[in-house]
Amino acid sequence: MKKTDFQYYIGGAFQLGIGFGVVSLLSRWVTGNTILSSPETLIKYGLTGGIGYSLMGALALILFGILAKKIRDRFHDHQTIGDVLRERLTPRGYWFMISILIVISFHSIFVQAMGAGILLHMIFPLPVFSGMVFFLLFCFFIGGAGGMQRIHQLAGINVVLIFSAVIVIPVYFYIQEGVYPVYEGIKLYHPYILYVKNTEAILFIFTAILIGFGQVIIDRASWQRVFIIKKEKLRITFTLAGLIWATIPLALSSLIMIIIFGRSYDSIYSLLFELIGKINSTLLIVLFVLFCFSAISSAISAELHAIVTLIIKNIAGVLRPLSNKEKWGFTYLFSGAICLLLLIIVSILPPSPIELLFFFGNIYASMIVPMLYIILGSKTLPALIPLASIIGTAGGFAALPIMENILTIWISFSLSSLICLSYFIYNLLRTKLTMNV
Amino acid sequence: MLPIESFSIYIMFCVLVPLAGAFTLLFLFVFEKRIDLLEKQKREIALESELQTALYNQLNQEIQPHFFFNTLNSILALARLDRKEELIRSIETLSKLLKFKYRTLNNFISIEDELTYVNYYLEIQKTRFRDRLHYEIQLDNHVNKAIIIPFLIQTLVENAFKHAFERHIGEALLKIKVIKIESSIHVSVWNNSIERYETSSLDGGVGLENIKRRLELLFPHDETSVQLTDQGDGTAVLAIFPHVIMSEKLEGERMQ
Repeated sequence: MKKTDFQYYIGGAFQLGIGFGVVSLLSRWVTGNTILSSPETLIKYGLTGGIGYSLMGALALILFGILAKKIRDRFHDHQTIGDVLRERLTPRGYWFMISILIVISFHSIFVQAMGAGILLHMIFPLPVFSGMVFFLLFCFFIGGAGGMQRIHQLAGINVVLIFSAVIVIPVYFYIQEGVYPVYEGIKLYHPYILYVKNTEAILFIFTAILIGFGQVIIDRASWQRVFIIKKEKLRITFTLAGLIWATIPLALSSLIMIIIFGRSYDSIYSLLFELIGKINSTLLIVLFVLFCFSAISSAISAELHAIVTLIIKNIAGVLRPLSNKEKWGFTYLFSGAICLLLLIIVSILPPSPIELLFFFGNIYASMIVPMLYIILGSKTLPALIPLASIIGTAGGFAALPIMENILTIWISFSLSSLICLSYFIYNLLRTKLTMNV
Repeated sequence: MLPIESFSIYIMFCVLVPLAGAFTLLFLFVFEKRIDLLEKQKREIALESELQTALYNQLNQEIQPHFFFNTLNSILALARLDRKEELIRSIETLSKLLKFKYRTLNNFISIEDELTYVNYYLEIQKTRFRDRLHYEIQLDNHVNKAIIIPFLIQTLVENAFKHAFERHIGEALLKIKVIKIESSIHVSVWNNSIERYETSSLDGGVGLENIKRRLELLFPHDETSVQLTDQGDGTAVLAIFPHVIMSEKLEGERMQ
């Protein structure tokens, strides 16, 4: 495959083995969300919440690994989630789903960029704007213009940085401070963290699994990786990626305790970044900053690459056939425009905390059953199936004033499942009746 | 509330698990290629041994006296009748067929090649069966360059002659169909004999079993099947295996 071919941009030139597959998935899934949501879950649900958060990611990737083999078997000629949707849905249903995917993609990349903004705001005394220019330029060259090959070239370095930080920094601190003072400090300032018989945490864990799975099942970047990992190694790659990913939030939650054991805090979202103030060693500060930037930049690069591919291959390419040159031209144009948009938004909005984990939970949960139907079903599906996810999400949001956030996510999930199930039964009955006649 | 001992264990766990994760990744990077290579070698040895069995079965089945003498008799008849053109063609075809049987050492060949040799075999049989034999080959354009195990179609065709046409007098109809359905290749060989050949019998059974085993070894991670079906108007054998292009397979092996 030539480097100038647009296929090269989408999938690179290799089929990945388990090692590179896991690295590629880790560099996609260790994100700003992981860094920012770990403290949130630990503070809200205690140690059980911390374990639950890890469990969520691991299970989501493992479950998707089971589906990945099926996806590859059934849609072996495709490259993106959009290609599969186009084959399985009617034109109207396809455009519904693409619209939802675009909204989710922009939200997801925006959250990452906000994470980078908060980090820049905390580390450098400069305005966020100038730091973000360099950061987004880097992401533009890697994910936007560089394509899958460039992303994979940096994925190894990202994962090395991530593991170096999550191994070295906690060891350094716990050797320096000792476990006992941390325990005593937590007991004094934040005893709720040590409270393990937390029934709320159980509901949180199950809901988090639902959200996590929903997030992976519609993740454009993960779908692209399904088509470039060797088919026979898909399941094991996703399983190992899930298990290895789970170790990172655990390490991060142990770090949070180091930060809060002797004091209270203002904002849980910026807690982890306050670690910089606690680290005495310059080398460790550099390592921690590199870890944060590499996690966020690799996630943004993967997302950016996936959105641009989706826009060019599954939106512009569907509307009118594009030449190879035009595709490359649009690649630079769209990735540049997205980076610029992110720069403007992050610079205008103050680096304030957003409720990350549950912000789009309703959409993710309501997407699960329609996506399962799309992947596992056998016929072209009508627009009702993608619409089910929109109805589910709307139902969940409508219940927000009278119910807890977590419960509305279950409402979204149930509503969309119910619509899909009703359609399935209706279709089954109709087929039987037609056969009898 | 969590006691200090449990908290210490929790912290130890949190600090140590990333280390385990990193080691797992490192292990994968260092040993994955070697494990793949060992698995590939093991599979190749098994495939080669199965190919030897297939070759032995093929030679045994065809260079058996009655096939050889019948073919020679047909050729002799052509010589006696002074049908020089057909005589030359028959000897040439027999020579090509034998050459293929002795020289096939690869574990997979292209469908195009396999069908070329099936055609030689059918041409020889045509000199023997004359107007009694009617055959038809239906080939999907997209599958020419796809891979197949050597002797798959040939074994099925030979089985049709051995278990059906050579046993019964009358019209001998044979249909070979190679088509692509979704991501799989469906090879079916149908003959108009309604008498089923027993899968447990030594020749047919071993032949089909050998095909099954070789397909499983060549496509270890995909679904393959070989089925013998009684279709009312005849007997068919259907073999299903994944569609893999020859160049892709060779490239994949080179990269490994």
